[in-house]
Amino acid sequence: MSIRVLVADDARFMRQLIREIIEPEGFEVVGEAADGRAAVEEFQKLQPDLVTMDIVMPKRSGIDALKEILALDVTAKVAMVSALGQESLVMEALQAGAADYIVKPFKPEAVIATLRKIAEKAA
Amino acid sequence: MDVEKYRTLFLEEATEHLAEIGQALLVLEKDPRAGEAIDTVFRMMHSMKGMGASLGYDAVSVLAHRLEDRLGAWKKGGGIDGPDGVTLLFRGLDSLEKMVAVVRETGEAPPADLALLAELGDAEPEKKARRLP
Repeated sequence: MSIRVLVADDARFMRQLIREIIEPEGFEVVGEAADGRAAVEEFQKLQPDLVTMDIVMPKRSGIDALKEILALDVTAKVAMVSALGQESLVMEALQAGAADYIVKPFKPEAVIATLRKIAEKAA
Repeated sequence: MDVEKYRTLFLEEATEHLAEIGQALLVLEKDPRAGEAIDTVFRMMHSMKGMGASLGYDAVSVLAHRLEDRLGAWKKGGGIDGPDGVTLLFRGLDSLEKMVAVVRETGEAPPADLALLAELGDAEPEKKARRLP
């Protein structure tokens, strides 16, 4: 059975790239969100197994969206998507309950390995 | 990765981002403390950095990163550092626009403007030393 993923990123480029990296590897992208508020709404609607959450997004930051999602479902699995220079924000997200993080620019094998590890822990 | 497809996506999104940055800089020219405009430029630079790095356009990524860092520092300080700061951002925008135009024409990013990079400097050099768990 495929692992259902919600991809939250304000850049279409990044949403498409994550989709293309993970879909051939047994993950199904069930939804996309272009801002933090939409990420929370889509999470409630879709109840995905896993969320990839960009840290820097409009309307609500990725960290605020993470906190809201965990308040709705303490077992939610959220992988933060970070970039060079965001180390302190990643630390904050991990302390807030993020399952793990992936780094841009993406190394496909690292993205797959991280998401699989999260999914296996949840199983 | 289908580079051609992602280059097209990059050009589309970069063009939108640069237009949005331009609008936000006009707001900041009038009010260097306009938080929403600072946030917009910060996010757009963050996005340019990520897309540039993903396609190997290092010059785009490095310049956007320096601008993002500088904006992050200004954000913490409560606003852009006077007219010189806004001018620096306009120069950054101009440089990014020229780079994107070259990518559109040639498929490759030109070298970075070293003088501009030097002026932007490392806004938060301590980040380099930080390690994640």
